[in-house]
Amino acid sequence: MILARLALRNLLRQRRRTALTLMVIVAGFLALSLAGGFMAQTFQGLSDAAIRGGLGHLQVLPPGALEGDEAQSLEKALPDGEALAARLRQDPAVAEVLPRIQFMGLLSSGPKSVAFLGTAVDPALEPRFMATAEAMEGGAKAPGGAGSRWLAADPAAREVLLGTGLARALGASVGSSLTLMSTTRDGALNAVDVDVVGLQDLGLRELNDRFLTVSLATADQLLDAAQARSRLSVVLRRPQSTAAEQARFQTLLPGTSVKPWFELASFYRQVKLLYFAIFGFLGLVLFLVVLLATANTLLMSVMERVREFGVLRAMGLQPRQLLKLLQWEGAFLGLLGSALGLAATLLLRAGLNALHLVMPAPPGTSHGYELNIHFVPLVYFIVALGLQATLQVSALFPGIKAARLRIVEALRHV
Amino acid sequence: MLQLERITRAYELGGERAGVFGVTLEVPKGCLAVLAGPSGSGKTTLLQLAGLLDVPDEGEVRLGGEAVSGLAEQARCDLRLRRLGFVFQAFNLVPVLSALENVMLPLQLQGVAEGEARTRAEAALERVGLSDRRHHRPGQLSGGQQQRAAIARALAPDPLLVLADEPTASLDHAHGGPLMDLMVELAQERGVTFLVASHDPAVIARAHRVFRLADGRLVGEERT
Repeated sequence: MILARLALRNLLRQRRRTALTLMVIVAGFLALSLAGGFMAQTFQGLSDAAIRGGLGHLQVLPPGALEGDEAQSLEKALPDGEALAARLRQDPAVAEVLPRIQFMGLLSSGPKSVAFLGTAVDPALEPRFMATAEAMEGGAKAPGGAGSRWLAADPAAREVLLGTGLARALGASVGSSLTLMSTTRDGALNAVDVDVVGLQDLGLRELNDRFLTVSLATADQLLDAAQARSRLSVVLRRPQSTAAEQARFQTLLPGTSVKPWFELASFYRQVKLLYFAIFGFLGLVLFLVVLLATANTLLMSVMERVREFGVLRAMGLQPRQLLKLLQWEGAFLGLLGSALGLAATLLLRAGLNALHLVMPAPPGTSHGYELNIHFVPLVYFIVALGLQATLQVSALFPGIKAARLRIVEALRHV
Repeated sequence: MLQLERITRAYELGGERAGVFGVTLEVPKGCLAVLAGPSGSGKTTLLQLAGLLDVPDEGEVRLGGEAVSGLAEQARCDLRLRRLGFVFQAFNLVPVLSALENVMLPLQLQGVAEGEARTRAEAALERVGLSDRRHHRPGQLSGGQQQRAAIARALAPDPLLVLADEPTASLDHAHGGPLMDLMVELAQERGVTFLVASHDPAVIARAHRVFRLADGRLVGEERT
């Protein structure tokens, strides 16, 4: 412990220099921790959007549904989808199963027709587990969206929710009557008249221009779907066990393909990769800055204490103990820097979140979001660990230099 | 206690060959021996070789009858820590430690428990008359007090041999004399062996044995 005490005293000897070095470490900690909190917010937002946007935690799909051209018809479907959903609802790990039909066709308003991508959902279950209904808040503010409401649970109701872009293309608004045209499972052309009951802003312009939502009953009439469903969205009671449940369900449901949400949410995966690349590079640069700054401080400290090290060596201190002394100095700088960095991070995070700053809309999306930097202890721990490792590495070279000093020369050093 | 046998250590200094050449001498236990001679005569080089701070090109250093100059670095460090004490011209106390902590330092490096190290360090400071200044840092002590603390630091681990390089050179006569008296007392009372490099007549006058060096060679030996 004598070496630790000596190291601490040495740091306190050059207070101004130590303070400057600590500031560099604190700045590094702050930048990396805030970036980590921001990333966590983004990943959380994107995963919520993916899960609650319709994927659920698991998707049960017909085999080969994701291979080749993604079918937007019941050609590739789970033929007994409703029965399968009922069976899955008995599983204790399952909170709910939401069957869906995905289809495409033409939407007509008088002489105008526009191609659409449709999703049929259970009007009663959907708003309880998915964010589809929340998308109507934005839709209600769009032109023609006033009075928007969710689909009626009545199986006899023939209603549709339109993406804001799709409504604009057709000149449709809430209350308009339109005709949905598509092909049945047998390939026959079919049409159903529907009333527009709401508009939806789905966050992505491309989706708003093509997307519509109807009830499963409406789709059943249009497509002659019977029990067939394109996919089942499974909501789990314990989302953290998604990977384990995926494996279990895949065994339980031969003849289907069970996929976790994160394998299907390509936007989430791409953003995650991009963020890791950007912030990884930023982190590397920051670690390098900390490494150079602290190595410089410790090296200067060694050069100023050559004679002192000579005396310590003359007294019998082993070269490796001098190395250890410098390692202690690095350790104290790292510990103190990380502690101060953590305090600064928590303060700044609280301040920034209290400002309720609205971030600009990310590319391809139609609205911004409020900055809410997450509290992520794991990130703080990893940053502190990384900085500590950096400090220990930065103390290595000055330590080796000190350990290699020739005693007689060090004692002569002025 | 200390025997140097045909010690040679040569190096280049300003284009000329310097060092010590074929020096043989012996310092018995409890003796205060002085290496005397003008600047450049090889006093400090010989002291460093005796103190295992440097390795001779030729010859052997024996400590308590044991050949030690050929030992590995780690063993030499261990010997310096447990068997040798050093006093330097510029005192060379660790500036961030108090006088007491400086004296405790070699003991703690030996692995002596803090409580015991404190007791022994306080006794060493008491012996050199510095008890009342034990919590002062080197910067708060006079030159004489710093050198007393340095002697206490050298003595605290109970070394076989204390090596002192010009211990009075940075002190005025009023402080240098009492310091030498202290070393003579320690040699006589506690049997501590001192090897001192000095050209100070006041130091030489108090020595039990004087080895005179010139141009790196032993040119005379006087016993009192």
